[in-house]
Amino acid sequence: MSTDILRQLKKTLIFSGLSDDALAEVAQKATTRRLSKNDVLMKKGEVGDSLFLIHQGWVKIVTVDSKGDELIINKCGPGETIGEMALLDQGRRSATVIALEDAQVLELKNDVFEKILNQRPDVSLSIIRSYSDRLRFSTTYIERAIDWAQKIAEGDYSFVDQTQPTNQTASDDDKATQLLSAFFTMVNRVKEREDGLKQQLEKLSFEIDQARRKQEFEEITSTEFYAQLKEQAKALRQKRHQD
Amino acid sequence: MKGKIVSIHSFRGGTGKSNTTANLAALVAMAGKRVGVVDTDIQSPGIHVLFGLDENKMGKTMNDFLHGKATIREIGFSIGENTGGADGRAKLAGKDLWLFPSSIRGREISQILKEGIDFNLLNEGLQSTIKEFDLDYLFIDTHPGLNEETLLSIATSDILIIILRPDNQDLQGTSVTVDIARSLDVPNLVLMVNKALPKYDFVELRKEIASKFHAPVAGILPLSFDLADNASNDLFSLRFPDHDWSKALREVAQAILVIE
Repeated sequence: MSTDILRQLKKTLIFSGLSDDALAEVAQKATTRRLSKNDVLMKKGEVGDSLFLIHQGWVKIVTVDSKGDELIINKCGPGETIGEMALLDQGRRSATVIALEDAQVLELKNDVFEKILNQRPDVSLSIIRSYSDRLRFSTTYIERAIDWAQKIAEGDYSFVDQTQPTNQTASDDDKATQLLSAFFTMVNRVKEREDGLKQQLEKLSFEIDQARRKQEFEEITSTEFYAQLKEQAKALRQKRHQD
Repeated sequence: MKGKIVSIHSFRGGTGKSNTTANLAALVAMAGKRVGVVDTDIQSPGIHVLFGLDENKMGKTMNDFLHGKATIREIGFSIGENTGGADGRAKLAGKDLWLFPSSIRGREISQILKEGIDFNLLNEGLQSTIKEFDLDYLFIDTHPGLNEETLLSIATSDILIIILRPDNQDLQGTSVTVDIARSLDVPNLVLMVNKALPKYDFVELRKEIASKFHAPVAGILPLSFDLADNASNDLFSLRFPDHDWSKALREVAQAILVIE
């Protein structure tokens, strides 16, 4: 087993905590697969039962848009892993992966992996920690996203300038990072639209014709009826005030 | 002070006055207050329609009461006991809200004046209505303009709510009504802007109008096609409580409720 592969394994999120001999054992149980350009590594919707580590070459991760056209979501190269979750939950593949060129990938099957987990509690513990880290990372961002969403609802955009999404702790394909990026794009667009609307709000300006106001007031108040009413109203107010 | 008379007025027609009066009265009744509404215009579709009353079935009116031809108990129609089928109105079941039909317009105005319904008679009539039904508020939907019976209602009011649209003609007319209300010593004057186009800055509009008239603006209600489309003749603010118009009207109701 090449030291290259071991070094690549060591850098992946889920195996980063493993000791060297555990890494060697994982690498030993894995099989190498060679892909030619346009070979399909996995298909969207298939049940996934293995993890792939790309050793050499590049692959594209694609899905199909509503028109049926191929849509490239991402590209992955040496050292990157695909299908980590499938190692444990055997869920369905969320996208199709196709080789962009001749490539070499390391495949670790779910059943083989489980045997290692049964035999090596230290590996189990390390893997649990890795998944736990990732979950905590995602949860933290979800909590922050909730907080920000509430701020947007109140029209408070101050956090946009104070917070810039960072990419330091997560790989490019990390869903939490993608969410964050999409979130900030959305906030900026919403803010732009809101600012635009605010500028469109017109200020109503009106002037009261004071001479006409005075004239109309005098027309109403100059009658005998009004004089009497005013007296009666005054007396009534005084009476109510005393009551 | 218990038993406040609340007159609702606008200088011109078309401000949504009847609709506002009916909804305001309903909101105040929903707050647990005992409320009466004098509907001054049973000839045309107005308040009674929103409360689900058929004008042909209305017999005696406030006029008969004022002339001693009927008791006020014969006139008062309990809405809380007759909410009918409409969704919004149904929420008033069991609430203390009465409608008092009256008819003072056209030929009858001159008749009233000829027969001598003067300020004191009107005022005594209203006060005994309040007493008989133990009302917290008696709303009067006045006629647009400043004719004599409208002046009578303004003079007897504890609270005058002036509804205006944000246009020059309404603002000009409102300035005269405001002067009259002050001349007649109305203790509480409240402005309410209805049918405001969303393109205006409501915060600025409120400041501008309040400072022009030196009177509080209790609410700015947006022009709403939903409201105009209220084909079922229901109480809009109860049927659609989350609508912007309903929210703004609740502010006005709250402004009435906090007046001592």
